[in-house]
Amino acid sequence: MSEQNDPSSAEAGAEQPSHGLGLLVGLPLICAAILGGWTLWRQTAELDDIESRQLAWGTILDLTREHIVLTLVTTAIVLVTAVPLGILLTRPAFRRLSTPVVGFANAGQAAPVIGIIVLLAMWIGFGFRAAVISLGLYAFLPVLRNTIVGLQQVDPTLVEAARGMGMSGFDVLRRVELPLAIPIIMAGVRTALVLVVGTASFATFINAGGLGALIVTGITLFRNSVLISGALIIAVLALLIDWAGRVFERIATPKGLS
Amino acid sequence: MWEFVSERWQDIAYRAFQHTSLVVQALVLATVIAIAVALLVTRVKALEPVANAISAIGLTIPSFALLGLLLPLVGIGTLPSVLLVTFYATLPILRNAVVGLMGVSPLLMESAQGMGMSAFGRFLRVQLPLAWPVIMAGLRTSAQMSMGVAAIAAYALGPGLGQYIFTGLTQIGGQNAVPYAVVGTVGIIILALLLDAILLLVSRLTTSKGIRA
Repeated sequence: MSEQNDPSSAEAGAEQPSHGLGLLVGLPLICAAILGGWTLWRQTAELDDIESRQLAWGTILDLTREHIVLTLVTTAIVLVTAVPLGILLTRPAFRRLSTPVVGFANAGQAAPVIGIIVLLAMWIGFGFRAAVISLGLYAFLPVLRNTIVGLQQVDPTLVEAARGMGMSGFDVLRRVELPLAIPIIMAGVRTALVLVVGTASFATFINAGGLGALIVTGITLFRNSVLISGALIIAVLALLIDWAGRVFERIATPKGLS
Repeated sequence: MWEFVSERWQDIAYRAFQHTSLVVQALVLATVIAIAVALLVTRVKALEPVANAISAIGLTIPSFALLGLLLPLVGIGTLPSVLLVTFYATLPILRNAVVGLMGVSPLLMESAQGMGMSAFGRFLRVQLPLAWPVIMAGLRTSAQMSMGVAAIAAYALGPGLGQYIFTGLTQIGGQNAVPYAVVGTVGIIILALLLDAILLLVSRLTTSKGIRA
């Protein structure tokens, strides 16, 4: 099977770069509509003691901030580890290793994220650190896989031409291979961001904060208003992060490729 | 650890069965829904961007958030699990089914029509077999994801091994906390890898002979 033309391998493998402007405009509109509706409800609804304490603006802003910090810190750590590893695994000396590493990472993807979070917390203790490591492990694969695929699909004749022009290996990487691979690498980063912002809702189980707390409180105290508010805010946050990823993807794509 | 497993072997096996059963049923449901929607998309071309946007946005929504939205509507238990797993399972299959069905050459469809095949016959005997490998690839992605989503659904008392993970979490500090979480997590990994192997086999066997690689 040829890797390039077969959609099944493309789907099973790397995330594809996003196309089209529809979602770029549509996503913020959807989010604004949901948030607007929710704010209106929050301002007018009659809340009991528990609800008004859980849904106080201060609490919600704190939880949102924790959620975003968790997401960004994890994604940043994944970026500075997975991208260099992906680059290393496509260098001639280590190329042989890329297939087993990606295979192992793919198999690791079968692990349920909630199990990883709980086990890791039992091992290294509850809190922010365990959350960052377990979410990072989970988001590592898409970035690694897309970095490898992105670099592999660079036309080898271009690399050769660049070498022929007298560029060093590092220069070829920096000025030819990476710019050409950026759209696919960024698609991986966006996928990672979305995975992390979603799974960060489980951080509350191991006392690492985040908006998941609202869902858990809503369920344990039978307050549907708290439960739904938490779910909506997490969903909106995820959509906005996805949107930011799409915008970033567009900005990062070199002019010659778009 | 071994003592824990051997003492609870029957319960573990039963939960593993429940977990697999939930995922497989949801996958069957998801495949039917996805192919039906994809078929509609191939007939009404204007719907393609809509279908793609729905898969993209749907996969962005965190499963825990969607579970939170489902609970007030359908209560806790098995129903939210089935809905949750089916929802996420449908999206990758839908995306691949649209790509696969759209990818069938119109020339082939026209020849089939010329041979006197009915619209349904054309779909069943030409379009679907040609798109099948791509649809199966989507199905395998869905299966992997569904195993994890089913674990999350256990938080709302859904069936399956996910409950072991949450039991481990609530008993933290107790001597059985770690075994519970390990059995839940490792059990799901094993089930996911097994299901993937089976689906790969099914995909090979059900792919029409003419297009087998």
